[in-house]
Amino acid sequence: MLELIDVSKEYQSPADTGSVSVLKDITLKIDKGRSVAIVGPSGCGKSTLLNIIGALDRPTAGRVLFDGKDLTKAGDIELAEIRNSKIGFVFQLHHLLPQCTVIENVIVPTLADKNRSLREEVEERAVSLLERVGLKDWMLHRPGQLSGGQRQRVAVVRALINQPKLLLADEPTGSLDEHAAQNIAELLVELNQSEEVTLILATHSIKLAEHMGQVLELSNGTLTERATSK
Amino acid sequence: MSLLGLVKRSLLFYWRTNLGVLLAVMTSTAILTGALVVGDSVRHSLKMTMTARLGKTNLALVANNRFFTAGLADELAQKLNTNVAPVLFLQGIVANSDGTKRANKIEVLGLDDRFFRLGPGKNPFGEDFSEGIVLNDLLAARLGVTVGDEVVLRIEQPALMSRDIPITPDSDLSIASRLVVKAVAGESEFGCFSLQANQIPSLNAYVPIQWLQEKLDRNEQANILLVADDANESITVERANEAVRKSWQLADSGLELRKPDNHDILELRSRRIFIDEPLTIAAINARDDAVGILTYFVNELRFGDKSTPYSMVTAIGKSGDSKNSITIDIQDDEIIINQWLADDLGAKVGDSLELTYFVVSPMRKLDEEQTTFRIRRILPMQGAAIDPELMPDFPGLADADNCRDWDAGIPIDLDKIRKVDEDYWDKFQGTPKAFITLKAGQMIWANRYGNLTAVRYQLRGKLSKDVEESVTTRLLKEVDPASVGLYFQPVRARGMKAGNEATDFGQLFLGFSFFLIIAALVLMSLIFVFGVEKRSEQVGMLLAVGFPTRLVRRLLFIEGGILALLGALAGTAAGLLYTRAMIYGLATIWHVAVSGSSIQFYAKLSTLLTGALAAMAVSLITIWLTLRKQVSRPAHELLVGELKWQFVKATPVTRGRISLWIAAISSVSAAGLVAMMTAAEGSTAAGAFFGAGALILISGLALIQFFLRMLKDTWSKTLASLAGLGLRNSTRRSGRSLAVVGLLACGIFLVIAVGANRQNPLKNAHRRDSGTGGFAIFGESAIAVIHDLNSKTGRQSLGLDDKILDNVNILQLRLHEGDDASCFNLNRAQIPSLLGVQPEQIREAFRFTDIIEGADKNDGWPLLTHDLTENVVPAIGDYSTIVWSLGKSVGDVLEYIDEKGRAFQVRIIGMLKNSILQGNLLISEDEFVNRFPSENGYRIFLIDAPPGETETVMDILSAGLADFGPALTPATQRLADFSAVENTYLSIFQMLGGLGLVLGSIGLGLVVLRNVLDRRGELAMMQAVGINKIALKRMVLYEHGALCLCGLVCGIIAALVAVGPALSSPAANVPYFSLVLIILAIGISGLVWIWMATAFALSGQLLEALRNE
Repeated sequence: MLELIDVSKEYQSPADTGSVSVLKDITLKIDKGRSVAIVGPSGCGKSTLLNIIGALDRPTAGRVLFDGKDLTKAGDIELAEIRNSKIGFVFQLHHLLPQCTVIENVIVPTLADKNRSLREEVEERAVSLLERVGLKDWMLHRPGQLSGGQRQRVAVVRALINQPKLLLADEPTGSLDEHAAQNIAELLVELNQSEEVTLILATHSIKLAEHMGQVLELSNGTLTERATSK
Repeated sequence: MSLLGLVKRSLLFYWRTNLGVLLAVMTSTAILTGALVVGDSVRHSLKMTMTARLGKTNLALVANNRFFTAGLADELAQKLNTNVAPVLFLQGIVANSDGTKRANKIEVLGLDDRFFRLGPGKNPFGEDFSEGIVLNDLLAARLGVTVGDEVVLRIEQPALMSRDIPITPDSDLSIASRLVVKAVAGESEFGCFSLQANQIPSLNAYVPIQWLQEKLDRNEQANILLVADDANESITVERANEAVRKSWQLADSGLELRKPDNHDILELRSRRIFIDEPLTIAAINARDDAVGILTYFVNELRFGDKSTPYSMVTAIGKSGDSKNSITIDIQDDEIIINQWLADDLGAKVGDSLELTYFVVSPMRKLDEEQTTFRIRRILPMQGAAIDPELMPDFPGLADADNCRDWDAGIPIDLDKIRKVDEDYWDKFQGTPKAFITLKAGQMIWANRYGNLTAVRYQLRGKLSKDVEESVTTRLLKEVDPASVGLYFQPVRARGMKAGNEATDFGQLFLGFSFFLIIAALVLMSLIFVFGVEKRSEQVGMLLAVGFPTRLVRRLLFIEGGILALLGALAGTAAGLLYTRAMIYGLATIWHVAVSGSSIQFYAKLSTLLTGALAAMAVSLITIWLTLRKQVSRPAHELLVGELKWQFVKATPVTRGRISLWIAAISSVSAAGLVAMMTAAEGSTAAGAFFGAGALILISGLALIQFFLRMLKDTWSKTLASLAGLGLRNSTRRSGRSLAVVGLLACGIFLVIAVGANRQNPLKNAHRRDSGTGGFAIFGESAIAVIHDLNSKTGRQSLGLDDKILDNVNILQLRLHEGDDASCFNLNRAQIPSLLGVQPEQIREAFRFTDIIEGADKNDGWPLLTHDLTENVVPAIGDYSTIVWSLGKSVGDVLEYIDEKGRAFQVRIIGMLKNSILQGNLLISEDEFVNRFPSENGYRIFLIDAPPGETETVMDILSAGLADFGPALTPATQRLADFSAVENTYLSIFQMLGGLGLVLGSIGLGLVVLRNVLDRRGELAMMQAVGINKIALKRMVLYEHGALCLCGLVCGIIAALVAVGPALSSPAANVPYFSLVLIILAIGISGLVWIWMATAFALSGQLLEALRNE
């Protein structure tokens, strides 16, 4: 369902003194329902790769095919629609809206959808998802009243509210303690299986990566398969 | 939850930031709306003043120095079916009982109850209109009198003939009466009545019309008619003038038809002695047998070494009636004398007879002229030759019993009068001693007042009543009453127009407050941007979850829009407070700007809506422009946090080059403007220099922007000090930095550029080309002075000591009252006052700023005598009068109607720079007397006095001219009073501009606070590696202090360019001290705000931030 063909990403330096290559000719194919971890040290380009996959950024060269659609040729509005309906994103920092309740935060992605008739269904799905992650009792609380792990679980639910085909998680446990991180990891794996959503996770934690079906290592801009203990 | 629900949540959650935005919008709205409502208030006040001034008066017939029968009012009232009030109006002087207080230039109105019915309704005289005087409250306060007190009223005594005619007596120019104050008339008693569109109330004294008529020997006469409109507002000028045409009688133009005793003729005469030309033409055409007569008083008839003094000579038209009229069958250079004269001179037919006589000259100057005639015939002393009726009722002559009792205005040498002359007078009174043709007589004696003294019609046995009726009917039909001053003017419509076109204080205060509004909007956008930047991660998240950019922008825009709406609503209410504050200012510290007039608060709903909508629109545009940049960044940049994304993308070098290009183009353009305008003067030069200054400002800001970019992107030198680090830090948020720099620079630029334009009229005031014209004193009298104040005889006739006034020269100008077109009058003058001047007497005085093309600016006065097209009169006026008060420029025309109802144009041919002549237009005296022959004498005086003797000369003239109601002011004082108005406007601008700078300083503080709060982590790191808090504060101070300094320097340099002309002007009064103080105050204020914001931001435990990082 997802294919990257010779994707490269370069950044120009401010004084026109050359460019820095972060991703070099990356080719990748991920089937539906798979779970993939991309590991590498900090600053190796994991987030950049995830942003390109998630249509948040464009490669300098190469193509990104998602469900047969070349994202590099799509316009901003089309990309937004794809992100809204087919891709879910979980960030290292949850980026919850402090002014909204838990359930409101969860349904925020649905507000971009003009089809109002789905509202009730959405709220039902939100409650159901929150219940699955054990946060039903907190749904009327504000993010400020939750722990870090709870907030990240809300972020995960938010990413799933539109029933995406692809779930991208960028260092989802980066700001959590070990216990919370473990909970999130398990949650992601469980959702990958139960929701049949393809999961790509970027992390520097090998321990987290080993929960995934496939581990790829990003180093010097290139992606290589890494053997797992699984 | 819906999108609007999200908006509502965000608004409430970020209430602190949103409150800041709301307050800033409220401020800008309050100022904008408040300024516009000031305009409403002024306009409303002017309208109220006009209503108080005119009451129900719609039209007015103002005959000035002509008088008609008061009964015309009754006729018109019947025809127009409305109230018509007759008024007898004169200028006067009033003093309190002991003379310790006096008020000049009083409007004395003789009236009856019909006048008060035009007002609010209250009649201060009550039922008793027999005696007493009513003063309006302003006049009563000026004199310190109240009901029951006695006052002395002196009023001008209108003459039968113009006092400019030498033969008219020059004594008894005014009469005085002691009267008891019957009431004090406030607004409800119509005390504010005035026909002139001026918000400054006049000083009015009301007396019973009958009493005044008796005092002036003008029984049943008036010179003003006031007409009220009817319920349907159907009484137009045309309708009223038509009613006059149908109602007027000969007596209304001073004419009467009479049958002299022992004559079989009917004679038409005028109370004014000379008959106006339109009347003479119609009178001659009234009947075939009409004979025109012009009798004149000659000083001498000479034949050889013999002469006969002081005689009447009549110029007479051809007549077929030898019984009742001398047959003039002679040539124009021939003369018929009577036998008495022939015997007295020993002259015979064929001899040459020389006539010596005075002609009408300015200031009653006695120009004697001679004309020689050849004696054609000698008449025996019988029949038509003895006709004392040929002499008109010359005042001072007609009723004299003997020659020595003559009281003519000319000097009579009594030694010349012989017994034979007395005998002649006893026997024949004013019988003319000689006769010439009418043509010859009109050539030498016709003047602007008329060219006949009588017209005779033969009765030939007919009833005089029939002939009278026929002549009367013909005259009333043929003569346009407007030609004798009987025409109505739309005073109400004119007053409303004057008010509607008045100085737009709304726009004025909007201009004054412009910078303040901009500062508030910049502050609003800064706070809004801070709020959005703080939520940049949220914005990134929304974009990441699939919100289209435009939807995110729309959400934020709706948030901003709601804040703009609420701010506009609150600001509109606050704007009313701003208006009240401005009105309070105009009533107190800025009272000079409105000439002390009372401004009432008044707000129109439409204005409030306009202000609110405009402010909201501007706020929304500002928010939109802000959002365009903020939400245009990619989601992944926003997600990493606002502090980091700015480093993700490099700034293209080309952007810096664009700034450099802008700087270069602006500088070159500014230099070009300065070079082009160096030789120019006046407003053109000032405007160009201001433009050059603005371009320099843009150039400076562009250079700062370039420098910031260069420092950020390309300067590779390592900055190894705290100051250097501070400098590098200033490049991080260059947009914020530039906003604050720009605000400070603009503020300083405006404050200095405006403040430096203050005028000091006292500088070089002695110079001929200054605003005083080199004159020491400016004077105005209530009653016209007919004498030449520079001649010995003129001074002696007024009791002025010629020796003391030896080095005093007085330039006398005629005055035709109109609207005050000076900066004191808030109304737009419709028909400005006209001054008549002899150009050669004022040559080289004052300085022209502009003149018609092709003329020499250094010698503009002679242009007043140049012939323009017919019915176009050239005029010169003060720049402020023409440009600001009238809204005109050189070449433009104004429409006037002269004394005879003829329309003519006044064309502006030159403008004077800042002069004491502000408020009037000057035309040549010749044109003046041609258009307004009945305006006697002179009422405006420009007086030269030796240095240091101004006060002495003022005292002497005030005492000597006391009966004329003089108001003498040092010319410098008058100029200072005019300049004070302009300087007050500048003060208002400076004050409001200063407030804008205060807002700018607050903006600087906010930027500092925000910058420091954003970097708490870095600063914590610096503290962790050993840099103490004081050093950190110093670093922040360097960073922002440099920006502050850049803004000040940029603004100062630009301002210096802008005020180039002002600095080089001789009258410049640059308040260097206060400007330096302002700059210092802004600089110190900026530093204080920087320090305070830094201290606040760095308060508490900085190292906590490290942990949170």
